[in-house]
Amino acid sequence: MPSLPPVAIDLNGPGHYVHLVGPIQISLANLIVIILMLVVFVIAVLVPFPRDKG
Amino acid sequence: MTTTTPATGAESSAAHRPATDAMWTSKLRHRIFDELPPETLLPDEQPAYVASWIYVFGVLTIAALGVIIASGLWLAFEGPQWWHGSSVGHYVNSLHFWSVQIFFFAMVIHLWGKFWMAAWRGKRAMTWITGAVAFFTSIGTAFTGYLVQTNFDSQWIGAEAKDGINSVGIGAWFNVLNVGQALLIHVALLPLVLGGLVVWHVLLVRRRGVVPPIDQLTDGSDLVSGEVTVPAPRGAAAGARERPDPATLPWRGPKRRYDIVKEFAVALLAVSVLTVALAALLSSPDEKAITLQKWAAAAPADFVATASSELDGSSGTATYGAPYVNIPDAGQSIGPLHLQRWAGVRHPIDAAKSFVLDPLRTTAATNPGVQTALAQWDGADAAQQQKWAAAYTDALGKAPDGDPAKVGSGDFGPVPALTAGLLAQARSGALDGPVGLGSSFFQTDYTRSVLFLADGTYLEDRAVAQHLGGDQSGMMNETGAYPGQEWLWLYTFWYQIKPFSDESNSWGANADAIIFGIMALLSLGLMLLPYIPGLRSIPRWIPVHRLIWKQWYADHPRS
Repeated sequence: MPSLPPVAIDLNGPGHYVHLVGPIQISLANLIVIILMLVVFVIAVLVPFPRDKG
Repeated sequence: MTTTTPATGAESSAAHRPATDAMWTSKLRHRIFDELPPETLLPDEQPAYVASWIYVFGVLTIAALGVIIASGLWLAFEGPQWWHGSSVGHYVNSLHFWSVQIFFFAMVIHLWGKFWMAAWRGKRAMTWITGAVAFFTSIGTAFTGYLVQTNFDSQWIGAEAKDGINSVGIGAWFNVLNVGQALLIHVALLPLVLGGLVVWHVLLVRRRGVVPPIDQLTDGSDLVSGEVTVPAPRGAAAGARERPDPATLPWRGPKRRYDIVKEFAVALLAVSVLTVALAALLSSPDEKAITLQKWAAAAPADFVATASSELDGSSGTATYGAPYVNIPDAGQSIGPLHLQRWAGVRHPIDAAKSFVLDPLRTTAATNPGVQTALAQWDGADAAQQQKWAAAYTDALGKAPDGDPAKVGSGDFGPVPALTAGLLAQARSGALDGPVGLGSSFFQTDYTRSVLFLADGTYLEDRAVAQHLGGDQSGMMNETGAYPGQEWLWLYTFWYQIKPFSDESNSWGANADAIIFGIMALLSLGLMLLPYIPGLRSIPRWIPVHRLIWKQWYADHPRS
């Protein structure tokens, strides 16, 4: 198999996992994506939209 | 003498109108242009309240879908194995992987936004429903995509998902271990359904218009005009004045410029650039699939114990029930509903024959020891065969490290020779073909290979080591440190809590079927939210909409 192109950030190593309440756990990558969703939603709601110049 | 004058074009057209108006084609054309005139389909203005960043996530979702389709077409053209052996192919797969992440990212934010706007108001329930169904169809499309990666992740997801799908009887028709079936569903059927739903959803948005701000127009504001009224509520006093539902009225208030084509072009550019960058920076996961050869080499004791359990009929596959094996009482249920059994045995598998005996016969001619063992096995009755194999399985369990070489003495008949022969065959690489292919030349169905692998502990041990186990949010996770199917968080959540995580009670023993039922009900609830009293009022009680439409509310305070 041809060698794969090098990547800037290698995510092929072992994952990291976060234990939430009790036995509930989630991977750090999934948690980051979900937190990002919430942050982007809050930004989208709070940041003023440009007014129509016309 | 009389003369006739040729009719002008207009006269001719008028004369023919009654006839043409009755034609199906004319009726369809009139219907389309009445419902969706060009200025509605491609507007250059929107109501002035459409002024929030939350509105861009709908078009971002469609733009991401475009990138998914483009990268998916490339992958489809080159074939499902291409990306494993080509650096270009791996990059295209990375484009596909990250565009799916962006697609769900944007779609979930779009859904949240529409929920807090109560966007189903004013006869827009079908817009909400088509959006919700498109969301569920997207989950199914992504899931089938994960199934057809043809790597370790897809092996494990298939091995886990089959229990959920089978537990409610769907597995009788949709076999998640049949890569050919999953691939066709993924690249043909579901994209067509999803594409149709998205078009329907967008046309409904264009036809009904964007839902106006909550409450702003119900107080007699003169920004709305028109004669549209809704019937008085059932039970209202006779003569009660009918009150218009402002959200149903065509917008006559202030507007702002809106370039829909430019918006889509910018969204497509933004999503494309982000996808290209993420694919270049982070690539995508691709851990090689486990072959039977690799299993036999890495965990010979587990391999031999599994083979012995196939012969004695105690393996997971041999005791599974529908849709593989006819065992009347086997299978999960939701209370009295035994959905798993309804369709019967649609994919019959004789575990001992398919996984052990038939593959051994392919090499018996060149292996006298195996030939003799097979002859002894075939010459015994079923009870004797089961007695030999069960005794050997039990002895393996008691041997140090399960090592076949350290098994004590016993009446095992030909079973040690059969399992040792199968182990040697697997190590040589000559077992993957017979188990996977059977007697076929062409093959896309890996049901038998994955079931045999899943009967052992090696596959699960590898998965659990990567936090892919059923009680580790496994279906949601991805190999390595990559994000997985975050959209399955609620589905995987139930498996982590009691009583579902404890198989000693009936809730845990039937967890797959019950959780499937719970998720089906919750999905139905999300879809029919516009009709559920209480839930549909949440956006009024928690006024996130005051933030979304803050510009409008500030510019148009209530009188």
